[in-house]
Amino acid sequence: MWEHINEALGDGIRRVLLGVADFLPGLVILLLALVGATMVAWVVSRLTRGLLRSIKFDKRMEALGFAGLADWSPSRSPTLLAAKIVWWLIIVFGLLVGLAGFAADLAAKIAVQTLAYLPNVLVGLALLMLGNLLARFLARGALIGAVNLQMRSAQFISLVVKWLVLVVTAAMVLDHMHIGGDIVKIAFGILFGGVVLTLALVVGLGWRDLVSRIGSKPTTEQPKDESSTLHHL
Amino acid sequence: MPDGTNLSSAVLERIASLKTADLAIGVATYNNADTVGLVLEAIRAALRDPLAGTRGVLINADGGSTDGTVEKITSEDVAEVPVLLLTYPVLPGQKLAVPDNDVPDKGRATKTILRAAQQLGAKACVILAPNLRGVSPASVTSLVRPILDDHFDFVAPYYTRHKFDGLVTSGLIYPLIRALYGKRLRQPMGGDFAVSAALAAHTLAPNVWNLDKGRVGVDLWMVAEAINRGFKLCQARVGAMARTFRDPSPDLSATLAQVLTEIFDLVIRDVSIWQRPRGSEAVPIVGLTPEIPLAAVVLDPERLIESFRLGHKNLQPVWGTVLPPATMLVLKRMANGQEGKFSFPDQTWVRTVFDFALGYRLRTMNQDHLLRAFTPLYLAWVASFAAEMQEARVDEAEHRLEALCLAFEAEKPYLISRWRWPDRFNP
Repeated sequence: MWEHINEALGDGIRRVLLGVADFLPGLVILLLALVGATMVAWVVSRLTRGLLRSIKFDKRMEALGFAGLADWSPSRSPTLLAAKIVWWLIIVFGLLVGLAGFAADLAAKIAVQTLAYLPNVLVGLALLMLGNLLARFLARGALIGAVNLQMRSAQFISLVVKWLVLVVTAAMVLDHMHIGGDIVKIAFGILFGGVVLTLALVVGLGWRDLVSRIGSKPTTEQPKDESSTLHHL
Repeated sequence: MPDGTNLSSAVLERIASLKTADLAIGVATYNNADTVGLVLEAIRAALRDPLAGTRGVLINADGGSTDGTVEKITSEDVAEVPVLLLTYPVLPGQKLAVPDNDVPDKGRATKTILRAAQQLGAKACVILAPNLRGVSPASVTSLVRPILDDHFDFVAPYYTRHKFDGLVTSGLIYPLIRALYGKRLRQPMGGDFAVSAALAAHTLAPNVWNLDKGRVGVDLWMVAEAINRGFKLCQARVGAMARTFRDPSPDLSATLAQVLTEIFDLVIRDVSIWQRPRGSEAVPIVGLTPEIPLAAVVLDPERLIESFRLGHKNLQPVWGTVLPPATMLVLKRMANGQEGKFSFPDQTWVRTVFDFALGYRLRTMNQDHLLRAFTPLYLAWVASFAAEMQEARVDEAEHRLEALCLAFEAEKPYLISRWRWPDRFNP
């Protein structure tokens, strides 16, 4: 009987040891891959940063009209943003290599799913960037236009325009990345409706006097705006 | 490459039937049936008397009028002043974007007129606006005589104006063009001007007149071209600048953006030229000073100051991208009313204009946004000028503007430094 017990115990220990022996190299490979990727990422990221700084990448992006990019960048620098992207791409690559050594099947599944989802992420990021740029452009245009029309609520109008575009952009991005499902659409509808209702109330209240005057004869002559009737040229 | 200004065979046949002309009088029109009659009358009267013996042809380039403008002009086609009708290609988008009180694609219209004048062999070509109210035979003659008699190549108008009339010209265009090109031309964007056959031939030569941009300020471009190529310039007294406007209160920020675009494009194009002149020289003024009663212009500085304060409150982040901290500090003091009487110091105004020119060149942001954000600053200068000159006579106001022009000339090294080393002064 003791012989059977010893044999079973020995088998168990052997299996566990074999399992550990199977598992350890994979873990070591994963750790090595991560450490290696971190080192490579550090070097490549530094090189990228140096290269982009030498060609004045920040100023070039600003000159090309991508000033809004700075807002999404660490320390308001598109160069640092590019360096960070390079860093994370290499780290993710190293992680996938490590996982391949750790568990080939799991790594293959993750890799396939990640690669299949990657286009959604990239398009989502592009949408986010474009939406942000568009929001800033339209908000600035609205601000300048409203100031030139002597509107006291210029900043508020600009803010509303900005958030309208940002809300639409966020909804589009989440929908594109299949995050949140119907909740996003419903939340977007409520939020967008809220913003439009607020805008309608503001305009309605602001123009109440004007609307009430429509159809009635003016009793007094309105003072002329000299600045707008001058012939400046 | 054809740019749509080549003359059709029908026009060439008509020109052949007219043979030659000493003088071509060009009028570009777009829905000006109500106002063009006065201009035609003045042209006819000028050719009948002061310019008797000069064979003149009226050239009309129409941008697609639908109010009977062309029919009205055609009905004036008489033997003493034959009419040559021209058309030029206008895209639907250009019609939608016609500047207030102007014609679509004015550059193409003017170039077509000059091409016809050249084909006619005209010694001089006068371009007149179709909405002139104060036009007279004497004013037409004033623009023509210096070319026909004194061999000048470009004649700019010298209007008699109220001290507060045309302040974009007085406080911005005139001093800036004077400082850049070194010529004291009081009205570089008057709308009416005359050119000699030699200058017309130069502008019509290949690769000189780029029509990619629908130039609003054809005259300004012509002035720069004439100065750069050493043509002879003069100014002719043509009386008051009275016009009938389709839109009596055009959008100021749009007007300013158009004007500044024209000027800043020239600043960028002629960078190797304007860095050379120091100071400025007078441009001869010909013709007699007519006694003209000027319409009163009343300005309320307080309303303009309020516009500036609103701009300062909201547009600081936009201004801050092109203006250095020292200028922003002065603007802050002005907005807060710390200086007592509202005043825009000449040096700050000049540097502001120069910094916006640099911002436009560097494309710090969308160029249209940048130029429209200039409006409250311009209104601040108008308020400052109006407050200072409220009680002044016309000659005193002119003296004040002369001081401003000298400030522009004195600050030119600042523009040159910033242009050469924009990073060194970056705010």
